[in-house]
Amino acid sequence: MRTSHGSFVWRLFLLLALLAPGLAAAAPQPFVPPSSPESAREQAQRQQAQPYNNAPMWRDVRSEREHQTQVRGIETGVLVQSGGETWRELRNGPVSLIGGLLLVAIAAIILLFHVMHGSIKVTSPPAGKMIQRFNDWERWVHWSVAITFCILAISGLIILFGKNVLLPIIGHTLFSWLAILSKNLHNFVGPLFIFSALVMFVTYVKDNLWKSYDFRWFKNMGGMLGGEHIPSGKFNAGEKVWFWLGLFVLTIIVAVTGLILDFPNFEQGRAIMQQANVVHAIAAILYMALSLGHIYMGTIGVEGAYDSMRTNGQVDEAWAKEHHGYWYEDVKADRTGQKAAAGVAGAGQVPQAGR
Amino acid sequence: MARMKFISDAERCIECNGCVTACKNEHEIPWGVNRRRVVTIDDGIPGERSISVACMHCSDAPCIAVCPVDTIYKTTEGIVLHDKDLCIGCGYCFYACPFGAPQFPQDGAFGLRGKMDKCTFCAGGPEADGSEAEFKKYGRNRISEGKLPACAEMCSTKALLGGDGDVIADIYRNRVVFRGKGSEVWGWGTAYGKPEKQQPQQQPAAQGAKS
Amino acid sequence: MTAAALVPLGLVAGCGEKPVTVYKAGKYQGKADSQPWDNERFKGDRNAWEKAIKDRSVAQNEYARVAHSK
Repeated sequence: MRTSHGSFVWRLFLLLALLAPGLAAAAPQPFVPPSSPESAREQAQRQQAQPYNNAPMWRDVRSEREHQTQVRGIETGVLVQSGGETWRELRNGPVSLIGGLLLVAIAAIILLFHVMHGSIKVTSPPAGKMIQRFNDWERWVHWSVAITFCILAISGLIILFGKNVLLPIIGHTLFSWLAILSKNLHNFVGPLFIFSALVMFVTYVKDNLWKSYDFRWFKNMGGMLGGEHIPSGKFNAGEKVWFWLGLFVLTIIVAVTGLILDFPNFEQGRAIMQQANVVHAIAAILYMALSLGHIYMGTIGVEGAYDSMRTNGQVDEAWAKEHHGYWYEDVKADRTGQKAAAGVAGAGQVPQAGR
Repeated sequence: MARMKFISDAERCIECNGCVTACKNEHEIPWGVNRRRVVTIDDGIPGERSISVACMHCSDAPCIAVCPVDTIYKTTEGIVLHDKDLCIGCGYCFYACPFGAPQFPQDGAFGLRGKMDKCTFCAGGPEADGSEAEFKKYGRNRISEGKLPACAEMCSTKALLGGDGDVIADIYRNRVVFRGKGSEVWGWGTAYGKPEKQQPQQQPAAQGAKS
Repeated sequence: MTAAALVPLGLVAGCGEKPVTVYKAGKYQGKADSQPWDNERFKGDRNAWEKAIKDRSVAQNEYARVAHSK
């Protein structure tokens, strides 16, 4: 009894001791925890100076800071996030306008070039002997990248431009179906493309290292602008630009930004996704513009070039000598580790699919 | 013609989340989707204010501008609605919206988000008004019943007002006048900074006068 | 040749942003959405619907209902 009575007095004393500073601090200045932001202090003071004036609070609303909310989710505490407007202006403005113009212009220039010049022919008669240019593995890797790239390019174009180009023609229901297909293809094929491109980089990098003779190639763009063919290694300087600028730099950019957009399950905020989307679109459009050049040169632009990526990956010796002189010499001297194809095809005959 | 709007009165909102609950209940919204939320600024500090926010039914709605399939549309009453059949779940409306109104049932890997869901101003969607299909996709259509959004009508302090912009702006204006702090609340000093900030010598005197 | 010149022009027209869709009465972008007064309750009477909404909107003003001293 005595002990409990004593403890009661003690507790009362303790309570008073705890309250005393609080009572003493009942001054007009409101208590604001020191850790709170400047705007909170300002708001607390403003409520005394000018009640109903919430200007500091409204400024804080625009600060895109996370505030308190009971709703769980990504950035639910942010009341106003203005980055979306910038993103919209960029995406619907310069990115789609200049990007679209660029793609159409590049396609038109290539078409015009082809109409005026025609494809680059092999001047010397076919040697009839075939050289293995790309082995099975190299062709598999190339086509994995190429096919996934095309799927991504077409589906991406549908998502960016389809609303204004396709939708008025095919209508909402059909276009929505196409867009759902495009979006899912884009999201699932994307990581596949990144993987393929990685493998392609490792496979092709040794032949794409810069050599001193590559810089001479740019003088007349490897004979495209007339003049003589500058001899080059397995890949000429143009192909090396495509390798380093396209497969290396642009792949990294579209891959990083694409993964940010493709995996919203990591709770990244809107700001990074808006920025990633703009960078992704710009890099992808540049990538597509470059790819148009590569596709043209690899198919109808240069006679015989497509043979190297066809079913057996062999090219005619005359073609090899003309377009990739140093590589041809290397193969002949057996310095590349690649064996010349054993089969001797008839002069002028298209290489057969079978081996 | 009515132009539908929401106003959230920061002076009145008590952060009861009644609007959030009313919305979820009225439309039977799935777990994880919140068409409306209450955000408290400076929580726990004197001068804290709460604001209830959902789709603001913008006049120049950024979500409509960026939607790649044109699924979001605007009714004659200025209500921004969307068609879940067309939605591809790309999340662009979520990037564009400053208020975080568009919601997605999932945030899965490979961008699997499901169909977008957002505040409909209790006006349903393109399906027949009051139909089972409309309710399943968009929730109840109170507007076609001549009623206002559940959140605003349920608000216990009438902090959240919904309805014809002219009418609710009038109600709000009346309130502000009745609170009677007009010229003290707003004015040159508030909008462009106090004169003492430009004249540092007078600052101690001004502070002393305040406290 | 003119066709070849027109195709890029047509594609370029797809760039940029178009004005946000303007609502056409009772329809949007080819898909019908009925007006809120086109139902059993209002039987197409637009004025009745607008009055119902206005009454509800005005009813949110509790100053009109609660006596107050000023």
